[in-house]
Amino acid sequence: MGEGAQGRPGGARAARGARSRGAGRHPLLPSPAARVAPIAPAAALLLAFFAAPVVWTLWASFTDAALTGPGAARTEFVGLANFERLATDPAVLNATVLTAVFLIGSGIVGQTVLGMLLALLMQGRSPWVRSAVGGIVVGAWVLPEVVAGFVWAAFLEREGTLNRVLDALGAPQQSWLTTVPILAVVLANAWKGTAFSMMAYSAALSEVPGELKDAARVDGAGTAAVVRHVVLPLLRRTVAATLLLVTLQTVQVFTLIYVMTAGGPAGRSTTLPLLMYTEALRMGDIAYGTTVALALLAVAGLFSAVYLRTLRPEEVR
Amino acid sequence: MKPWTVASPRRAAAAAVVHALLALLAAAFALPALWLVAAFDSEAASRARLPRAPTLDNFATVATPDTLFVPLANSLWMCGGAALVTVAASVLAAYPLSRFQLRFGRPFLYTVLFATGLPVTAIMVPVYSLFSRVGMVDSRWGVMLFLAAAGMPFGIWLTKSFLDGIPVELEEAAWADGASARQSLLRVVVPLALPGLSVVGVFTLVLAWGNFFVPFVLLQTPERLPAAVRIYTFFGQYGSMDYGPLAAYSVLYTLPVVLLYAAVARLLGGGFSLGGAMKG
Amino acid sequence: MKRAPAAAAALLLAALPAAAGCEGSGRDPGTVKVVYQDFGAFRAADAIMRTVKEEFEAANEGVTVELHPVEAPAEDYQTQVNLMNRSASEAPDILYEDSFTINQDVEAGYLHPLDEFWESWEDADQYSEQADAAVTARDGSRYGVMLGTDTRGLWYNRTLLEQAGVEVPWEPEDWDAVLDAARAVQEEFGDEVTAFNLFGGTPAGEVSSMQGFQMLLTGTPDRLYDEEAGMWVAGSQGFTDALEFYDTVYSEGLSLDTRDMLNASAPTLNLEERMPQGEMAISLDGSWATQTWIEGGASPWPEWEEEMAFTAMPTQDGSAPGATSLSGGWTLAMGAQTADPGLAWEVMAMALNKENATEFAVRGAQIPVRADVAESEEYQERSPIVPEADELVEVTHFRPAYGEYPRVSQAVQQATESVLLGDATPEEAAAAYDRELEEIVGADQVTGG
Repeated sequence: MGEGAQGRPGGARAARGARSRGAGRHPLLPSPAARVAPIAPAAALLLAFFAAPVVWTLWASFTDAALTGPGAARTEFVGLANFERLATDPAVLNATVLTAVFLIGSGIVGQTVLGMLLALLMQGRSPWVRSAVGGIVVGAWVLPEVVAGFVWAAFLEREGTLNRVLDALGAPQQSWLTTVPILAVVLANAWKGTAFSMMAYSAALSEVPGELKDAARVDGAGTAAVVRHVVLPLLRRTVAATLLLVTLQTVQVFTLIYVMTAGGPAGRSTTLPLLMYTEALRMGDIAYGTTVALALLAVAGLFSAVYLRTLRPEEVR
Repeated sequence: MKPWTVASPRRAAAAAVVHALLALLAAAFALPALWLVAAFDSEAASRARLPRAPTLDNFATVATPDTLFVPLANSLWMCGGAALVTVAASVLAAYPLSRFQLRFGRPFLYTVLFATGLPVTAIMVPVYSLFSRVGMVDSRWGVMLFLAAAGMPFGIWLTKSFLDGIPVELEEAAWADGASARQSLLRVVVPLALPGLSVVGVFTLVLAWGNFFVPFVLLQTPERLPAAVRIYTFFGQYGSMDYGPLAAYSVLYTLPVVLLYAAVARLLGGGFSLGGAMKG
Repeated sequence: MKRAPAAAAALLLAALPAAAGCEGSGRDPGTVKVVYQDFGAFRAADAIMRTVKEEFEAANEGVTVELHPVEAPAEDYQTQVNLMNRSASEAPDILYEDSFTINQDVEAGYLHPLDEFWESWEDADQYSEQADAAVTARDGSRYGVMLGTDTRGLWYNRTLLEQAGVEVPWEPEDWDAVLDAARAVQEEFGDEVTAFNLFGGTPAGEVSSMQGFQMLLTGTPDRLYDEEAGMWVAGSQGFTDALEFYDTVYSEGLSLDTRDMLNASAPTLNLEERMPQGEMAISLDGSWATQTWIEGGASPWPEWEEEMAFTAMPTQDGSAPGATSLSGGWTLAMGAQTADPGLAWEVMAMALNKENATEFAVRGAQIPVRADVAESEEYQERSPIVPEADELVEVTHFRPAYGEYPRVSQAVQQATESVLLGDATPEEAAAAYDRELEEIVGADQVTGG
């Protein structure tokens, strides 16, 4: 892995140079308007399909908008009523906790730690080993979400593979999807998403200059120490960016959980996206559903802020 | 730059430990997916096992136009189209973001990225209203454009860092030869960024390929549904899980993206890289 | 390069509000859009609508009947139809609509009143008063025409009950008699046979609420909604008793294993596998169960007539009228956005005529609401409805079809789920329901039991 990046040595440095020198020097796109113009198609698509609906979502959370019933005919402003309900709704508290568990379990512990571990272990291994292991891990990532859901539901079934393996090892069996549904979906999502982190960290590791590590080793540092004090600090920015993306992806996982447990039993795997779906589309209470979505954004924002603060203090802009 | 290794004086022992760990992890990752061999099993169940009586009957069961081919063709055109649109729009948008100090550059990138944290389920209601106003409900074009937009934030982010890696000097040489802005973009930047752009394309395609919810809400006519929705409605509506055909369908539905991924990875020299994209 | 993308973007942005401005004008008065569910074992609506399309288009040149079958389970179907109804251009002209959603859809302004057509319709007098009530909204107007109705009761396997020593035909006189029979089956067969299926939990959705909980509650003196007071009922003894019954059934292991019950496919699996394979002795289920077993059904089982029998669900202590049942019913309704209501009505009337209503009743195993259909030879010959189910129309109940009902029903499902999982005692679950109920309908709309 990582050959692509190595093909353009010093990529980031060259780019920074290019940007500073390029500023104001592009002879063919002299005016500011011409420079911005190419952004237009992307901006138009994003404005139409994301910005407008997001603004509508914000608006809806202050109303009684509904899919049917009186709220559908004459949508009225209800002030902060939805937010008050949000604050006292035990289902929201439950879903927020489960979302945090899901995020920490599958996104941070699962995908990030496993991804980093795999990337570290695969450094310098023969191409054969790397493509075999990498291929298997990436295979899980390429699998469509619905299929991944079916695969894991079958895997964790009472008669499924996992129970067979446990049985053979003499360990107790479980009907995983009902006894520990949140663990089941955490495992499935870690399995599915690890490849992304692995690829990001592999690429970043391949750019860590060898001289640095050699120097550290000459100083007598062991492998663990080199990783801890030399490699990881250099990867801080990559880790922050990857964690950010992983977080934004993880908090909104819907299909995988929906296919596996549909949020049950008794709400024990109902994360915020599932709660939102139930409220907005099943119950038709769009206003409250969108308010739950905002709670979800708050959770994601909180985690993002923590990463940006702890992982890149030197770059706060 | 030689890839750094975890080597130590006790090189061989360390390598053995690393290989053992890798084997263990690979086995753990492979285990759940082993169930897919049920596709070849005439008496498939939820647990993975070697088929006692290998058969292709399960494939024959699902390989009908109505169940498989039409939905796959729909997936191909909606997701493939989305990937192309995303790549094209991303390269256009990323170019100025990479080349100029735009005042709104960073905030733009972060806003766009953060907006993707809002679950798609949350915005489907307004999106549906919007689509119905412009007559795009039940239209594969509409779904294609929406999937393209959904892939855009990450696409722009990735593309920008790939373009960052292309020295401006190469472009300057083209300008000196009298190339227009369009020519220098198409003949210099795009070819050099091609590995990166194919990564963006594959990313978008893989995410769109598995997207169930968007077409589920926006499409109505059964003949227009992609495989992601078809597999769900087809196997969801008959109570008992027909594990054999389900596994066979899963295999056939997954195969195109796996092949594409493998092909692109091969073209990129055996690896699939995010390059320096994740530096933030 | 400089201009093209910007121009394209400007065009796209300009197109959005422009298109939004001409909202509704996209409706073609010559096209009648029909939306209905077509999923799993339920194919009856599709069958009659295809006939209607063919015949109507042949008889009326220039008119298109546009069919939109929705392949999704009931809840998702509801969501899809609501989304369509919200949009002036996508809203259906004719929709297949569950009678209990009529009130909320009228409040939302989605439906077109049918009074003017109904009054001059020659077939109107074929419909019973009960069917009228179910389609009349709180504003007094009629918004739908019933296609068929149903009842609920106990399906049982004759052979299994006989082997367990239960006298057949079985006519349990109270809840304890039901439990005794179930215990006898459990004694005889152990884990091999599910003694008594009682639906509960949220995954099965409305099935748990209607075939499960409300079949118990209506057998007590209490109800979910007090019609006289016009208020929802909290803290009733009947509510707790019904949950007690769940607790007994599940703690004694008489019903399905909880993980099998908390599977959205449980109702289908029962009908398609567990009952035909003799793995389920008694099940509290719908009169339409037979649509699965008849020829051309999802899981044909010609022997069902010998094996299976139907009996009424008794009231709690056998008090009058001795039995209880619940009825639902699907209707055809007209969308408020329809460009030509007269034309839409003509299509509706054709779908509702004697011939099509008979076909619908037979294929969907529905109890007909038209007198001429119920009496017709063809129906009596082909109907898979057992007479015992038909008779329950006399004692049946309807759900409180108010806008809040779906949420209340969800709270009921949650109460059953927490009891069957052993998360809460019946009293705790009932108390949680009371709190939830106040949240849903407002404290001023709730009365004590």
